[in-house]
Amino acid sequence: MSSSNAAVEVENMTKVFPLGLRKGSVIAVDSLSLRVEAGEVYGLIGPNGSGKSTTMKVVLGLMAPSKGTAKVFGLDSGDIQARNEIGFLPENPYFYRHLTGEETIRFYGKLCGMRGAELSARTKELLRLVDLESAANRRLAGYSKGMLQRIGLAQSLVQKPRLVILDEPTAGVDPVGSRQIRDLILRLRDEGYTVFLCSHLLAQVQEVCDRVGILFRGKMRREGTLDELVAVEGRTSLTLDSASPELLAEIHELAAAKGVSVLSEERPRTSLEQLFIQLAESEGETRS
Amino acid sequence: MNSSPPTEKADSGVQTRHVPLFSLGRVLTITSGTVTQLFRMKVFYFLFAFALVMVAAGNFSLPATPAQELSTIKKVSFGTMDLFAWLFSIVATALLIPRDQEDRTLYTILAKPVRRIEYLLGKLGGVLCVVGLSLLVMGTICAITVGFRESLLVSEEIGAMQADGHFAPDEVNQQIDLIRHQGLRPELALVVLAYFFKAAVVAAVTLLLSTIASSSLFTIIVSILVFLIGNAHALATGFWLQESGNSWVVRIVVKVVKVLIPDFQIFAFSEGIVQGEVVPYWLVGEMGLITVGYLLVFLLLSLLVFVDKEF
Repeated sequence: MSSSNAAVEVENMTKVFPLGLRKGSVIAVDSLSLRVEAGEVYGLIGPNGSGKSTTMKVVLGLMAPSKGTAKVFGLDSGDIQARNEIGFLPENPYFYRHLTGEETIRFYGKLCGMRGAELSARTKELLRLVDLESAANRRLAGYSKGMLQRIGLAQSLVQKPRLVILDEPTAGVDPVGSRQIRDLILRLRDEGYTVFLCSHLLAQVQEVCDRVGILFRGKMRREGTLDELVAVEGRTSLTLDSASPELLAEIHELAAAKGVSVLSEERPRTSLEQLFIQLAESEGETRS
Repeated sequence: MNSSPPTEKADSGVQTRHVPLFSLGRVLTITSGTVTQLFRMKVFYFLFAFALVMVAAGNFSLPATPAQELSTIKKVSFGTMDLFAWLFSIVATALLIPRDQEDRTLYTILAKPVRRIEYLLGKLGGVLCVVGLSLLVMGTICAITVGFRESLLVSEEIGAMQADGHFAPDEVNQQIDLIRHQGLRPELALVVLAYFFKAAVVAAVTLLLSTIASSSLFTIIVSILVFLIGNAHALATGFWLQESGNSWVVRIVVKVVKVLIPDFQIFAFSEGIVQGEVVPYWLVGEMGLITVGYLLVFLLLSLLVFVDKEF
């Protein structure tokens, strides 16, 4: 893919933080190179302190790299023009708690130069998208964490950016709220947005990301598509519906006859998250 | 979503919004957001405290002449207004930027196409709007209190002098003029303006400190210290120079302090107006220019610190 198709291009980027007089410095990100293609969902994962947030802040232009470059759609990340292309949702966003949901979106829209009918239409559209129309006139001080994340996502999209950067978008959100945000991310991908996601919740990343980069101590350890990263070479699993014990015995015999070992046999299980959501839905507890 | 998705936007070559070098619209958006924030933080509750002071001052019954009584009421009410204005200015400014940083609201604002100078101007503008509005309210309360007391004292004095029967009309008029001189006069509006100038400079100094510090408490304490030092400039300068025998080292230190810490005594002309003195209008104009100068210098210094600050 040509360089012009890259939504984010980080090349050999290092970020060093001085710790004060006589305390030396700490290398938060070390010679990092990564590339997020336009239209894909890229997940940057790693433990706390691995450099994810620093990388994200450099891409956002909130920090300057000590070495190397960071570009957004070919523009230097420090260039204010690049920020027209970026929507950002920080971890545990608070925003102005005295504003209502609608006022919050309008505030950020105005900062992007939007006014009048265009802003009103966009505000309504986004409130509908994040399913907060009924809470539009409530102050954010009364919003739950999940609602705050969703209004945060709405403000990040207000100027129709091409790239959306999400920092731990489901941190502290319950499984139902978490699923709503996951569905929104998938919807954004379908709409053609590029999503750059930082998280340490591996299951979530696995569900939504096309490609993943794994950071440890400021260095990129592995990068690739999910299939490339998680597939176990030379092994295949089958999931059969209503297979009789006789059929299973035949499969075992056939495999043994062909010299193939059956390493495990188990009943597929639902995830705890899926079970929780099913129960919540059956109790009619889904969010308004 | 009904809007054209970004891929279409990119493919059709639709130009994204151009970000101008400076946008008054963005500054005003942040200013109005700051005003709303301060309103909804219920900061105006301090006006109730001011109103209480005014009610108490308006009911002073002093063993003094009516003119002295009015002068005391004015000193108390305008002194309280001055205190409330600069203290409010410090607290409101010190709360804004560190709080935005703590709440990460600053990230979401600066992640939009907003220049840092626009953010600083917007925040300062918001504080100044609220301070200006508060001063208008406090000034109105003061005017009502002083005006009411003045008319009461005048009618009492006329009644007492006429009842006495020993005073000629000229003597009565002279006494009334004396009372009115200490009463509600249009020049008192200039005092409110001077307080606004002072509060604006205090806000600009606090803005600079809040860009350096990350804690509101530290900013408030240091700003109050700067304000107190700024009020003792002339006194301290004279003392230091006299004590050191006018040494060149002290002279340099004094000059540095004068540059770094505004001389708030330049706004002291307002005290003269409160006491009934006549102050030339050009002096008020000069104070306005000095205020603008201080605002520009401290905004520039704030920008120098803030422009490369990493969050």
